[in-house]
Amino acid sequence: MLVTAIAVVACSAGPPAPADAEPIPALSVEDFEALMNTSDRPLVVNVWASWCVPCRSEAPLLRAAHESFGDRIRFVGIDVRDSQGEALAFMAEFGIAYENYFDREGAIPSALGGFGVPLTFFFAPGGERVFFQPGVIDERTLALQIDELLARS
Amino acid sequence: MEFTLLWQAGLGVLAAVVVARFQSRRGLVPMDLGLGDRLVGAAAVGVLVGRLAAMIVQGANPILAPADILVVRWGVHTGAASLAALATLAWGLRSNLWHGLDAAAPAALAGLAGWHAGCVFRGACLGTVSGLPWALAQPGSTITRHPVELYAAGLYALTAAGALWVGRRWAPGVLAGLALAVAALARLATQPLRPSIGGGPIGWYLAGTVAGLVVTVVRHRSGGDAATTKQR
Repeated sequence: MLVTAIAVVACSAGPPAPADAEPIPALSVEDFEALMNTSDRPLVVNVWASWCVPCRSEAPLLRAAHESFGDRIRFVGIDVRDSQGEALAFMAEFGIAYENYFDREGAIPSALGGFGVPLTFFFAPGGERVFFQPGVIDERTLALQIDELLARS
Repeated sequence: MEFTLLWQAGLGVLAAVVVARFQSRRGLVPMDLGLGDRLVGAAAVGVLVGRLAAMIVQGANPILAPADILVVRWGVHTGAASLAALATLAWGLRSNLWHGLDAAAPAALAGLAGWHAGCVFRGACLGTVSGLPWALAQPGSTITRHPVELYAAGLYALTAAGALWVGRRWAPGVLAGLALAVAALARLATQPLRPSIGGGPIGWYLAGTVAGLVVTVVRHRSGGDAATTKQR
């Protein structure tokens, strides 16, 4: 049964990007800093790319977190070193509905001191960095850091 | 490269092997059962199957990215891992199934206690916010929290000690069933103290509790029947 399941997954491809999907807007480092400093809600910033396998692993978790906490915490995705088409297909495949921005050169994570993908940053309202997770984030860490953000705000 | 998860798993395996050897030396289980090896083998199969199941559920392809199977920190499917570990253990002990599972119960519970206590290696012991005197804060935070994984470790350690004390006093299979029920119940009882996205795998814990209780009742009845038949 497991072999069949693996074969099914292996032979299946993700859905293409919707034809009428708007391109992901670009965001500069300055614009991101302004967004971070003026947000009245705590911020979870996830840096991802469609070609990154661990990003696929954590995407369902981030979507579920946004569905549960999106009214109290602002979720922001930063898509780096990617193409618009692949990125939109990735978002459609995992049903990612929170705001996302396109950063072709990866300038925003570099300015934050991060390297590679995925990365997840947690900011209190006003822009104070509370936690930084290099690499894939697990459910326990994500849930605990969200709880920490909510307890602080 | 992060090795803290490896240390945590190592503490779990060490606790299980120590208790299994203690049982063998005290004559509580036959030496030829190879209990420690069987438990380690079952745990390894459980982790592998749980990892593959997690990848499939998350939409990652184990065939296209086989190296990612090794990165266990990305997630292991609790239900699939538990079922695979139990099935492997049962298959290994099939010649004397119920006595074998009874013998394995204390060591398996001790292994779970070690695994949860191993949270200290990863800084992953804390749960929901608490003002209790023993609550602890994350580094860089003033908000104190329940050390929920240490609670779970304590529950498993107590249960393991109880299972060692019970030994072979009950009908074959009763201890194994009760151990499964208590193991699942301990996770269920501590789950509200863990911050989680979507509540955690509560369904699997409930299923484990019910399955354990069913095995306990069925084996208790069949053991009683056997005893009655012998007396006749």
